[in-house]
Amino acid sequence: MDEWKPNPRAKPFVPRRHRSWLIAWKYRLTGQRSVRRLCQTGALLFLLVTVIVNIKLILDTRRAVAEEELVQDYDNIIPNMETARRPSHGRKVLDIEVYSSRSKVYVAVDGTTVLEDEVKEQGRGIHVIVLNQATGHVMAKRVFDTYSPHEDEAMILFLNMVSRGRILLFTIKDEGSFHLKDTAKSLLKGLGSQIASSLSWRDMWTFVVKKGGQVYGEKHSKSPALATWGDPVLLKTEVQLSSAEDAECHWAHTDANWRRKTFCSKVEGYGSICSCKDPAPIEFNPDPLKDNKVYEVPVAVIAGNRPNYLYRMLRSLLSAQGVNPEMIVVFIDGYYEEPMDVVELFGLKGVQHTPISIKNARVSQHYKASLTATFNLHPDAKFAVVLEEDLDISVDFFSFLSQTIHLLEDDESLYCISAWNDQGYEHTAEDITLLYRVESMPGLGWVLKKSLYKDELEPKWPTPEKLWDWDMWVRMPEQRKGRECIIPDVSRSYHFGIVGLNMNGYFHEAYFKKHKLNTVPNVQLKNVDSLTKDAYETEIHKLISEAKVLDHSKNPCEDNFIPDTEGKIYIMYIRMEQEADFTTWTQLAKCLHIWDLDVRGNHKGMWRLFRKKNHLLVVGTPSSPYSSKKPATVIPIYLEPPPKEDVELN
Amino acid sequence: SDFKGSYSMEESVHWKVVKKFLGLVSVHNIPLYLIDPLVLGRMNENSHHEESTGSGLNCKYLCAPREFTTFALLDKFWKNEKDAEEEGFQWMELSGKDPRLAGMDGLSGTEIPLHYIFKLQNHAIHLVVFYERSGNFLWHGQLRLKQNADKKFVHFRKLHFGRYPGAYNRPELHLASIDGLEIRVPKEIANFLEEVSHSRFVECRYKEARTFYQVYPEDTSQDAMEFKKKAKDLLHQAAKILNRQEVPFWLSSGTCLGWFRQCNIIPYSKDVDLGILIKDYKVDIITAFQQAGLPLKHKFGKEDDSLELSFQSTGVKLDVFFFYEEDDYMWNGGTQVKTGKKFKYIFPKFALCWTEFLELKVRVPCKTLPYVEANYGKNWEIPVTSWDWKSSPANVQENGIWPLGDWDEVIQIH
Repeated sequence: MDEWKPNPRAKPFVPRRHRSWLIAWKYRLTGQRSVRRLCQTGALLFLLVTVIVNIKLILDTRRAVAEEELVQDYDNIIPNMETARRPSHGRKVLDIEVYSSRSKVYVAVDGTTVLEDEVKEQGRGIHVIVLNQATGHVMAKRVFDTYSPHEDEAMILFLNMVSRGRILLFTIKDEGSFHLKDTAKSLLKGLGSQIASSLSWRDMWTFVVKKGGQVYGEKHSKSPALATWGDPVLLKTEVQLSSAEDAECHWAHTDANWRRKTFCSKVEGYGSICSCKDPAPIEFNPDPLKDNKVYEVPVAVIAGNRPNYLYRMLRSLLSAQGVNPEMIVVFIDGYYEEPMDVVELFGLKGVQHTPISIKNARVSQHYKASLTATFNLHPDAKFAVVLEEDLDISVDFFSFLSQTIHLLEDDESLYCISAWNDQGYEHTAEDITLLYRVESMPGLGWVLKKSLYKDELEPKWPTPEKLWDWDMWVRMPEQRKGRECIIPDVSRSYHFGIVGLNMNGYFHEAYFKKHKLNTVPNVQLKNVDSLTKDAYETEIHKLISEAKVLDHSKNPCEDNFIPDTEGKIYIMYIRMEQEADFTTWTQLAKCLHIWDLDVRGNHKGMWRLFRKKNHLLVVGTPSSPYSSKKPATVIPIYLEPPPKEDVELN
Repeated sequence: SDFKGSYSMEESVHWKVVKKFLGLVSVHNIPLYLIDPLVLGRMNENSHHEESTGSGLNCKYLCAPREFTTFALLDKFWKNEKDAEEEGFQWMELSGKDPRLAGMDGLSGTEIPLHYIFKLQNHAIHLVVFYERSGNFLWHGQLRLKQNADKKFVHFRKLHFGRYPGAYNRPELHLASIDGLEIRVPKEIANFLEEVSHSRFVECRYKEARTFYQVYPEDTSQDAMEFKKKAKDLLHQAAKILNRQEVPFWLSSGTCLGWFRQCNIIPYSKDVDLGILIKDYKVDIITAFQQAGLPLKHKFGKEDDSLELSFQSTGVKLDVFFFYEEDDYMWNGGTQVKTGKKFKYIFPKFALCWTEFLELKVRVPCKTLPYVEANYGKNWEIPVTSWDWKSSPANVQENGIWPLGDWDEVIQIH
């Protein structure tokens, strides 16, 4: 932490006045006859200089944009926390400047720029900054793109979570009114804004207020016409700092509350954690597990700069039965303060990692460093649990692992145990006691064997210049070597991250939102012993022999393909010419609305899932060895891929 | 016994402070054990004379007026300073960087406590925090005072632990009754005391290694991977055999250079090199390796001159060089098969330290730089792939020729 420098990227705001001054000077000179010649030469020279300066400016901006983009992708939209550089104690008044315009916003506190955004096509909407009323420190910084739908709801949520008494600074960049609905407007009005209710298309607006208190200033400029923006507005005001006691709550003197106090004096936007009257708990003490086989297994939480996600994740992790907080280490990719604050709030160990490389490779290097460090910190550990900051953890996560972890030792043909079933959606997962063997590696909450990591993965982990996804690499046949993973039918983790590398709202809605997460504690898993290599085959053969063959003349995408029964076992045969022929499977996955982007969840050319509370086996024929069980009369279903043009039309 | 047990417990501040402290930790169930060299030394001496003196009134170990008593605390955080304070102790925590994060990856975490000192009247308890490290050993950190620390809190220079970081085997413990106090102590006291005297630990130079890899990127080819894996396995196997024989050894030549320069095996080095002092040589070494499935490949020289052994593992050779000590230098020998020529490799004298290498606790020369420079010259930082052991080393000297009659003995190739 001592290497961290506050606000390394911010430069003090200097208004660009020099250019207009030079232009004025040029005009004055041209007005004088006697020096016209000189002026022409001078003007030419000046023009040349201007051109050069401008080109340089453009190049610099471009480079800055490029750099910004690289960081932005992984860092997510929530910017790094920055703190006013000059200590504000000893001063009772803060000078505030808030600027709003089409292409740029900035906020300066006592001359220090705490927000500056002039990047094109980015940062549109309402920027909100929260200052500590006693110190003037920036506690939170958010931007809500209220031009787009639902962002105003996020803003309401955020503003409601900010403690009373904090200083709120608002400024609009580009457009912030299009999807700013009445609820949000009236909330702003309730805070003291005179303008909010009439805020409209392309208006510029700045507003400084104490939550639940005095308005320090508000400025607004109307957009004159649809096609134009309101003139830039600059609000200058002063904020009287209050005494430290007023800004703090009087919680009981416990270790936990000491951490809470530290946290709440630094950051905002975590709601009732910092409530004076009725603060949300930060210690959970879930029931211990009997005979917990994973109590001493280290838990590595891989994190970037998404502190709100990390907060949600750690809450669910620390609430899971059988959790051992001593074994948790959070690995943060970068020297970000707020994620570390969250880690310390929960009294956990955090490790920061100097970022290496960019994008996917950066994540990949972070994974490697984290896994290596995990086994260094716990040299006796034979396994590690690997989690990510955007996962909810099932209440029986550790119970699930405790019941299965011995399999990794007993069965050399296993690669991992994962809490995540790629095909486990609300409508395709049912049995919380059931486990599968699958040839894919789902990740998203999994157990890694130390010997696998140390002997195989770590030595040849992709180097930074290979811009590879770590998980894709781990899934490659060269690494997996035909080994399988154990997964539950109903997942023990839930992927809630919407913002991140390789992730957006649409993608999340389509593939992750309807994933099923187990919520029942202490589930006794039923077929643990039949998951070793040979036993599993016996189990599958038994299942197939009990299964009823579905009517293959019907369309498998229609609802009536599966009879309206419960608790039955059905089997269907689809065409699969050889091991890598997933044509029909992919179409089937599409119409079942499950994971279809690549092939997941298969075992020897067979998939297992639930339909209408019946267990369904899908066998690829003739590639799968299980297709020998197919009655001769049954013709495997073939689904045609969509015609090529459709794809190209996009 | 020449020790006069004439101190009274009731009057001994030392005894009373230890008793009070142990009472405090027992309430919180904190597993401590005694590592104080003076007390353990006394216990060790006495165990040779009589098992027990029987008399409970006689205070033999913890009553002499002394400044410190040293205990070890295992990998747990001391969270009860306030309780100690209430009992009248003044205390100080000395923390430092977590060495387990100090690998090649640029990680930094919260500092970890390395030492605690609890002071009451004129006696202090020194609590050394031990951490488990990769390579199945315990590590304690160096005691370093920060800028604003009270440098006169105790006589830091007189502490028995903390001058250097240290590495230890995990001791087997048992509960002993010492002057009427139940205290956990290492079971094999003599072994433990022996370990104390050779416990100094040095960390690999990860930062420099990182720089090295920036200039010379790691070879991640299949061949390089496989060689590194084999070399690591062989090193682990050799360490196991030699440790069981209680023969101290250290990383030498290319293996030492690999550790020092890049914290790794040099992938093109083709063998694993170890050094052993000739005084520790015994024939059992050869049989032990052979029994472990590593046949003797060749034996050059003899016990009193230029002894060198090579064992064959799958794809990797293990070279064991025996070092001879002179008044102001050390040397090991080499022999050319064809000509019977002898070579001598000269090193400045060195002491041995522990380090962690490839998940193994092994020894290296404490002052590794002069050792590596002697062997590889000032340009040791630049990788050299073509190496001739007779001419490339910076410290090689011709050393005559074996008499023809000795050849059968001093040039054995199997």
